[in-house]
Amino acid sequence: MAMKTLLPGRGPAGRDRAERRLAARMTAPSLILMAVVAAVPIGYAIWLSLNQYSIREAGLSRFVGLGNYLDALASSDWWAAFGQTFLFAAVSVSLEMALGTAMALLLNLAFRGRALLRTVVLLPYAIVTVVSAITWRTMFEPRLGLLPQILDTLHLPGAGVVWLGEQGYAMAVIILSDVWKTTPFAALIILAGLQVISKETYEAAELDGANKWQTFAHITLPLLRPAIVLAAIFRTLDALRVFDLPFVLTRGANGTQSMSMLAYTQLTENRQIGPGSALSILTFLTVMAVSAVYIRFGGGNIRDIAKEDH
Amino acid sequence: MNTINPATSRRFRFRRGGRLAVVAAATAAVGLALSGCGGVATPALGPTAAAADPASAKDAKGNVTLCGGKDGAGLYKGTVDAFMKANPGVTAKYTSIGATTDDARTQTIQRLQGKSNECDLFLMDVTWTPEFASQGWVLDQTKLVESNKDKLIASTAATARYKDRYWATPFFTNAGLIYYDKSKVAKPETWQQLYTEAAKASGDGVVFQAKQYEGLTVNFLELLYSAGGDVIDDQGNIKIDSPETRKVLDFMAGGIKSGAVEKGVLTYDEDGTRLAYESGKNGYERNWPYVYGLLNKTKLAGTFGVAPLPSWEGGKASGVLGGWNLGISSYSSNPGAAVAFIDFATSPDWQKHVAADYSSAPVNEAAYSDPGVLAKMPFAKELLASVKSAKPRPSSPVYQQISEAIYKNVYSVLSGTASTDDAVKKMADQIKKAQASF
Repeated sequence: MAMKTLLPGRGPAGRDRAERRLAARMTAPSLILMAVVAAVPIGYAIWLSLNQYSIREAGLSRFVGLGNYLDALASSDWWAAFGQTFLFAAVSVSLEMALGTAMALLLNLAFRGRALLRTVVLLPYAIVTVVSAITWRTMFEPRLGLLPQILDTLHLPGAGVVWLGEQGYAMAVIILSDVWKTTPFAALIILAGLQVISKETYEAAELDGANKWQTFAHITLPLLRPAIVLAAIFRTLDALRVFDLPFVLTRGANGTQSMSMLAYTQLTENRQIGPGSALSILTFLTVMAVSAVYIRFGGGNIRDIAKEDH
Repeated sequence: MNTINPATSRRFRFRRGGRLAVVAAATAAVGLALSGCGGVATPALGPTAAAADPASAKDAKGNVTLCGGKDGAGLYKGTVDAFMKANPGVTAKYTSIGATTDDARTQTIQRLQGKSNECDLFLMDVTWTPEFASQGWVLDQTKLVESNKDKLIASTAATARYKDRYWATPFFTNAGLIYYDKSKVAKPETWQQLYTEAAKASGDGVVFQAKQYEGLTVNFLELLYSAGGDVIDDQGNIKIDSPETRKVLDFMAGGIKSGAVEKGVLTYDEDGTRLAYESGKNGYERNWPYVYGLLNKTKLAGTFGVAPLPSWEGGKASGVLGGWNLGISSYSSNPGAAVAFIDFATSPDWQKHVAADYSSAPVNEAAYSDPGVLAKMPFAKELLASVKSAKPRPSSPVYQQISEAIYKNVYSVLSGTASTDDAVKKMADQIKKAQASF
């Protein structure tokens, strides 16, 4: 009260405003940096997507508004790539979450050499995707690849199958290589979530006479949900932008064209800068929409769990 | 127990949500920036580009850099070294910019759009001429090619021509050949005989390039051209929707069904084809001359014969011309030395080395009958026959899109996911769309 009379206009409300101004000034540099890093390229890409640039005459361009978008949305290529990308993302992320949880539970057990094993399981994730994709392609090479050779030696069916040359199988191989590579990443995040769950919760459950399955279903899994959701968000966003796996393994043949590959083909191979940028923006919007859904509903889960826990 | 203050938890939630959105936006932005980079540089030179002066080669000096794709046979490096020996005043260098033809094109275009003077000379695939010329990326070489004309096989020079001017000089050419296992099958005279023999012989039939990429366009056009079909005529009219196209597609798809063609071809590029044949199970292989030297280093040395591409039902055999031309960058700071390099690389003397030392097809006809060449390349006569009967691929600034329309639809017929009729209609439709692009 004494302060208020001594310094009129610098009461709690005034101080608040001053503080807010200070905050704005202090965050300004990083906001500007963000704008330069994120907004400028996106804005430029949007501008490119509203134009067409001549492939016949140097320097010639024309403004077409939303024309490139309408063309893309009317083309069967876009919708095919859209469906194939979502199929890939749904199947691979589900498998990665299930296997990642199992792997995290195993790695959380106390056993000798645990630290070493935790490092070793991360190896697939450390390999450059293009390199691992080439390895998988070599393994599934018709006749001469490792898999057909093994099947042939053991007289099992499938030795004559052209894995990457047939609809269905080709997608399966791409999903397999993605699951192989990124399950360790999911496991690592889920493992971190596991380690946050306090021992007392389990001790209380044991005192209450809960069996192993009940403990897992009613304690471990609900408390792990935030970690699983986080891993799923990261993986889904990555999976929806998948490029290197189909590019190396099939070049988009046999129902494995992804949205990013389609944009790449238009942008670099066909040099259709306008339509290609429109495809990039559509891919970007799709990814943003999916992440918004995740954050809305995944975030809700996180809040509920926090409340229950409280 | 974990006690989380509701207030902090809300703030935490907000921050995390915000951060995620920013992460998502930033990743997408980087992806976009990468794919969009160098998008709209606008070269100042139009189709009336500056011309390379043949006389400027005389007092060439300084540095000159040749840029191109993977130097599998060592030809580019070898030519650069030999050129320096012959021209002590010039320091020449070869820079590899991409493992595949597609990569090399992307890299080349990036440099040209950025007006980079890193490369004075570019190795240009024969299909790039119209696009590079219309964008003003390469110097007009009409005078140069005309002064060298008597040394060049006419069909190879034609690949460097667009709108009545020459935009590059042929360095080496290429044409498909048939390699066949002499103990299993006979020398092929017609495609029909080749497929029949391949189906009868033990093992895995014929192998060629039928992966979904440019190579499939080439392999399909070889049959289509022999059968008398075409893609577009000189006026740009679409000719692909024809009985010939249907016949050839049915024939190829039938070959896969009957086992005359190994089903693995759907995943084979040139190297995949080569490795499959080297396993010793196939009767026939369609591939380029470069595999000859490699095949001779395997246990199959001496077991195989080399033949030009066969005819369609006894008609006139044809094929598709491949090969690489030398273009001079519009942004070169030393075009004189670049001209000197072209003079050297296309000289009849060096062209003999191109064949004898690097198993590549010369653009100079005399080289094919040189005794030194015949000793190293016994199939030179067959190769010359293939080169001379081969036709160029469609000439258009939108060639990439035309080719994509071809290989995607041919692939869907070969893999059994589309009917011939639907594929042909789609092909014609997509080529029309490509031609209409701005």
